[in-house]
Amino acid sequence: MGNRSDTISIDVAPVEIAQRRHAPLPENREVVFDVQDLGVRYGATTAVSGVDFDIYRNMITAVIGPSGCGKSTFIRCLNRMNDLVPGAQVDGKILYHGEDLYGSGVDPVEVRRRIGMVFQRPNPFPKSIYDNVAWGPRVLGMRKDLDERVERALRGAALWEEVKDRLKRSALSLSGGQQQRLCIARAIAIEPEVLLLDEPASALDPIATTSIEELMHGLKRDFTLVIVTHNMQQAARVADMTAFFSLEVGEGRRTGVLVEYDATEKIFTNPSDQRTEDYVTGRFG
Amino acid sequence: MRTTFQEELDLLEATLQEEGELVLRALRGSINALEQRDHELASEVIAFDDDVDQRYVAIEEGVQSLLARQTPVATDLRLVLAILHVNLHLERMADYCVTIAKLSQLVPDVEPSPRFVEGFEEMGARCEEMIRVALDSFVKRDLEGAESLVDLDELVDRANRRVVERILELGEAPRMREYGLRMVLVSRALERIGDHAVDIGEQISYLLTGEFREFSDASHSHPRS
Repeated sequence: MGNRSDTISIDVAPVEIAQRRHAPLPENREVVFDVQDLGVRYGATTAVSGVDFDIYRNMITAVIGPSGCGKSTFIRCLNRMNDLVPGAQVDGKILYHGEDLYGSGVDPVEVRRRIGMVFQRPNPFPKSIYDNVAWGPRVLGMRKDLDERVERALRGAALWEEVKDRLKRSALSLSGGQQQRLCIARAIAIEPEVLLLDEPASALDPIATTSIEELMHGLKRDFTLVIVTHNMQQAARVADMTAFFSLEVGEGRRTGVLVEYDATEKIFTNPSDQRTEDYVTGRFG
Repeated sequence: MRTTFQEELDLLEATLQEEGELVLRALRGSINALEQRDHELASEVIAFDDDVDQRYVAIEEGVQSLLARQTPVATDLRLVLAILHVNLHLERMADYCVTIAKLSQLVPDVEPSPRFVEGFEEMGARCEEMIRVALDSFVKRDLEGAESLVDLDELVDRANRRVVERILELGEAPRMREYGLRMVLVSRALERIGDHAVDIGEQISYLLTGEFREFSDASHSHPRS
């Protein structure tokens, strides 16, 4: 055919296409949370103990494990949501960019502004779509260019195209999947750094689940995400890093512990700990 | 505990072993047909390949179904992938046995020295041993056994080189040259069966360690012995 200069050049070498999706190398990871020997007690009951690991910036970290292993308890420590639970006592340390999250002088409200949270059940306010997203910025005094901010958040949550013509309609008129994306828009409207997602898709159908998972892939460019999920395949699909929590049973007590933390690919192809292997292959219990 | 899933995995492994036994039978049959110039036996080996193909397809379908429905991970995932590869290696081995059987039917009526036939007997026996070691190591999850296939293969390679040297000594008579040509292909088929056994060893290693590893670097030639 000779030398054709008008052909479309392909920048990506074929070998790169064939390469496996790896989590970024350890030297390229920036620590956001440094969790040190974390334990949580509710009264006399120890919910989790001895949790020790780093959570990295612009990655999706999944927390998986059987019911009652302390996944949700753990993630709630990351933005001090457990402060609101009577009798909850947090031991150990969580350093957020090197600063003790539970240190004196740290304002929990400011912590929760920087570290947002999305829950299992979509929980929009019974207000308009616009007001749901604008509520956070208004409360925090971010009133400048509010329309732009709302649009940016809705675009970030991949919802803008679906709702741009009905922003004044009630948020409750949206489908479950749309409501959950609205909650994500609400969370990112105040420009947090971290998003904590506690079972964000477990109440959604497969199509809405896919859209949330796709959204998460997009969000990690701007945010650090931590997701609790009981759906192992969801963790395998979305997460860069996976932490497996399990229950340690002894002396009539059941305590959540971190068993293994590694790149998701490692956890799902060749885990190091037999307990992880048993859990992910369904041989648990 | 996923009982059904485990049963399906066990069934796949059992079928794979069965396929391996059929390959051993095909190999023995093809070498005997060659040595004894038994064209009827050769035809049986050729027809018999359908049995191997039947297992091959059953395993392919079983793996496809498991991947689609059960989403295996960790050791289960590695086992399913290893079964998929080993299945193909066994099927290829059986194809080489068919090649040997067909070549044995095409051999012109010449009387080479008995040394010749001994060479193939040796290669065939060594290949049989390799297939047995490969199948046993898979069942027993035996990494050492799997790795031993490299040394066994070296013996097959040496035997192959000896056979080729003898072919060069066959002389220039047209019938001898035709015979020699066919026998080069037989020797090559046996040598490839040994290589596939090593590949099965590599799959066992992957299954056990989770690491992809080539036992020997095929792109670099071995020193001649």
